[in-house]
Amino acid sequence: MNKIYFDPYLFFSIFLISILGLFFLFSASNGNFEIVSKQSAYVAIGLIIMMLISQPDPDLFRRTSGLFLIFALILMGITYMFGPEINGAQRWVRVGPFSFQSSELLKLALPIFLANFLFNKKLPIQTKEILITLIIIFCTFLIVARQPDLGTGLIVALSGLFVLFLSGLSWSFIGGSFVLLVISSPFAWNVLLQPFQRQRIATFFNPESDPFGASWNIIQSKIAIGSGGLFGKGFGEGSQTQLNFLPETETDFIFSVIGEEFGFAGVLLLLSIYLFILLRCFYLALSARDRFCRLVIGGISLTFAANLIINLCMVVGLLPVVGMPLPFVSKGGSSLISLFFAFGIIMSMGTHKKFLPQ
Amino acid sequence: MIFEERQIEKNNFSSRAMLLFGIVILGFLAVLLKVFSLQISGYTDYQLAALKNKNYAVPVQALRGEIFDRKGRALIRNEPTFDLITQPNLIVDVELFLNEIRPIVFLTEAEQSKYLQSYKEKAFVNKELVLKKDLSKEEIARFNVRSFSFDNVFIAKRYRRISDHPEVFSHVLGYTSRTENDYTSLPEIPRSHWKDVELTYANGLITGKTGLEETYNERLRGQHGSKMYEMNARGQLFKSFSFLQPSKGADLYTHLDIDAQKSAAQFLGNRKGAVVAIDLQSGGVNVLYSAPTFSINKLSNGMSDQEFQLLIKNAEKPFFNRALQGRYPPASTIKPAIGMFGLANDIVDWEYQIKDPGFFTLPETGRIYRGWRKGGHGKVNMRKAILVSSNTYFFSLAYQSDIIQLAQHLSSLGFGTKICSDCFEEDKVFVPTPGWKYSMMNAGWVTGDTVNLGIGQGYLVTTPMQLANYASILANKGKAIEPSLVVAGNQKKPFRTWKNEGFANLDWEKMHEALTGVIESDFGTARSIRSLKTFQVAGKSGTAELVSLDSKEAYQEVRNSELLRDHSIIIAFGPMPNPKYAVSVVIENGESGGAVAGPVAIEVLKSLIDE
Repeated sequence: MNKIYFDPYLFFSIFLISILGLFFLFSASNGNFEIVSKQSAYVAIGLIIMMLISQPDPDLFRRTSGLFLIFALILMGITYMFGPEINGAQRWVRVGPFSFQSSELLKLALPIFLANFLFNKKLPIQTKEILITLIIIFCTFLIVARQPDLGTGLIVALSGLFVLFLSGLSWSFIGGSFVLLVISSPFAWNVLLQPFQRQRIATFFNPESDPFGASWNIIQSKIAIGSGGLFGKGFGEGSQTQLNFLPETETDFIFSVIGEEFGFAGVLLLLSIYLFILLRCFYLALSARDRFCRLVIGGISLTFAANLIINLCMVVGLLPVVGMPLPFVSKGGSSLISLFFAFGIIMSMGTHKKFLPQ
Repeated sequence: MIFEERQIEKNNFSSRAMLLFGIVILGFLAVLLKVFSLQISGYTDYQLAALKNKNYAVPVQALRGEIFDRKGRALIRNEPTFDLITQPNLIVDVELFLNEIRPIVFLTEAEQSKYLQSYKEKAFVNKELVLKKDLSKEEIARFNVRSFSFDNVFIAKRYRRISDHPEVFSHVLGYTSRTENDYTSLPEIPRSHWKDVELTYANGLITGKTGLEETYNERLRGQHGSKMYEMNARGQLFKSFSFLQPSKGADLYTHLDIDAQKSAAQFLGNRKGAVVAIDLQSGGVNVLYSAPTFSINKLSNGMSDQEFQLLIKNAEKPFFNRALQGRYPPASTIKPAIGMFGLANDIVDWEYQIKDPGFFTLPETGRIYRGWRKGGHGKVNMRKAILVSSNTYFFSLAYQSDIIQLAQHLSSLGFGTKICSDCFEEDKVFVPTPGWKYSMMNAGWVTGDTVNLGIGQGYLVTTPMQLANYASILANKGKAIEPSLVVAGNQKKPFRTWKNEGFANLDWEKMHEALTGVIESDFGTARSIRSLKTFQVAGKSGTAELVSLDSKEAYQEVRNSELLRDHSIIIAFGPMPNPKYAVSVVIENGESGGAVAGPVAIEVLKSLIDE
């Protein structure tokens, strides 16, 4: 058994976008070598992790899914109790010299756990099982959202809901819960949202009301992207980026840097690679060996897609500002490593075949 | 699971995954569409917005024009001085920095604390801050030797608005002061950028406040330039990439004469009063002096508020421009005008004579109007009446005049109107008429009012400028050229001519002869100044009574209070018989016109004629 499990399409497209990401980060950080070399190290480590994770048989992940979830939840608890408070939120846990955003793990642990819970259930799924699933999703969501980190909380919840949906949730149930969601939204607005989050949403619907306050970011981001034109202003030439009009260029708003310096052409290239990665995941899900693998690939890759689209919509002004990085491009070790981790799992699920008669 | 069930599950999964991935692709499309609308459709708008973000235009102050006298000598010039400028963002430890710079330039406590205060505001952005204004030569030399150890400090040339005769010309030149409204001159630069203006003057953005500086502000101020900088989001300026040079304002060439103005000041001494002299050929104002004065150099280059308040509150009113705004009764200097009226309207002729007993009795009421000399002047005709300044003759002449016509006549000689085309805040005063009296005092005009007008007392008041203009009309035999301070250039100045069919050229010659006699003959009231010069001068002196008294004894009492003493007035022109300059002098509380104001007029004429 010397076979190396790895999907070349996925591997090279991820490799490509990570290298491009380093270039973008170099410009976005005003040419900061320290940041870029640190990020390069994370990319290298990440690629290795991805390759390592894709080797074990999917059964390993299935059997350890419960442990994995519990481990992630304990880490969340540690963060909640001992983590340093940054900007009014406790999201980080320190392990020696590394800090890690513990909620990243939940984005993986929850869908794997639910896939394991649901993969052998008979169709259609029973109400009791649906309720158990929903309760698990909701509890996990609450734990993350109270950090407070509503954005990640919603992503974590989505990762669970994707699995539930893909496993065959009945349409009548979906319709019913949608009605329930609409009815309960005023409650959510008042109780779940922090004042600054409400402010962000209010600003989103009326950005010009406060050009130097909360909506500054989104206005500057639109100016950056718009002024890029067809081919952009050139590498390191974006005035919005280089003169710091654009906020958070290394993290949330790095897409605006790409838009400004490489224009519509650069955006098209970037989006094509992302789309290619997603379509490859879609193919892998359909051709996976069993239901568990399908659910995990589907859940994780759709979570990745949601993450990506929310970031894109945010920086172009289609959604309110929520802290969400651009996958594989934004600065940040823990999100990058967990992405490679996630795609390692996808590769493992997509490349291990059972020797069954087709 | 059986195979069939697996197939159902797989199909179910496929369709659901297809649905979700379809939604993802829709999301991609939405983003792409939005990016397209930003980058392709909205490109021009966003490109402009990006430029607006980073491009920061800063105005560059223009040099004001300078002002010259009629011989091309500078009255106000831009004097370069040197200021020590720092870049606060390059100073790490401000206390340490001050300790290092203190041995090189002398800093007062006030300068240091002011610097420390502004430092905190400026250190954040890379903008300049003045540490010390007007460095001495020694300080410049000391700094230049050590400049290599200060990369955050440099010396910059900053101008001051300087007059070499700051007190003599204070009223006519006026002063400049700091302005907040200069942003209107460059509307393309946002108002908030003006705090970063690159200054040319040490006193900052300045504008003319009074005098020529105000009247010709538009011409003097020039056009500010602008520099375009690249600015980051913190407001720090980087390289400038375009520079529109400022253009200096136009220089002003005036008719003023430094020597004549200085002799006016010298001979007026510390008395209050005014002197105006006019060039008869051009109408140019050669002298416009008012005393007491103040220093425009101090005012133009940053006077402390305390000093300014002292100036304003000074009881002598140094700010008050007596030459243009002082209202004085013309007294006997009006007599030639009354005489012209009598001759032109055939009320009298040159031969007509009356007996002057020293007073005039108003027939209607029997009220007595006294002359200045007890016992009178005997038989007087027009010539003698002007020479000896007979009050009785002109009382009698005025008594026979129609007040409406007389007022019109006085107006035609420039009384009650603005005379000078470019003087600052000239008072036009008024010519009294029955209508004027009724509206001002709610009382009817009586004949006595007209009689008083005959000797320039009563309601008639004039400014020294109006007197000088009147003198120049007399000198020019009726030709009235509009006086102005600044040389008009090539264009011919318009002029009016005082003409009357009853007043021929012969009358003008006789009038000139009489007015020359006032100074040059043995009987003239101003003969005491005859010996002060080598050329002949015509004129008419006057003594303006501030209180109307019946006897000399009563006036002796009044004299005790200086402010109630008579004003001394003279109008004069020369050299006769072909006069070139006319002058008026008023000395407040100077008493006896000919002997007091006369010498000042003569000295001014001398310095104008001698060139």
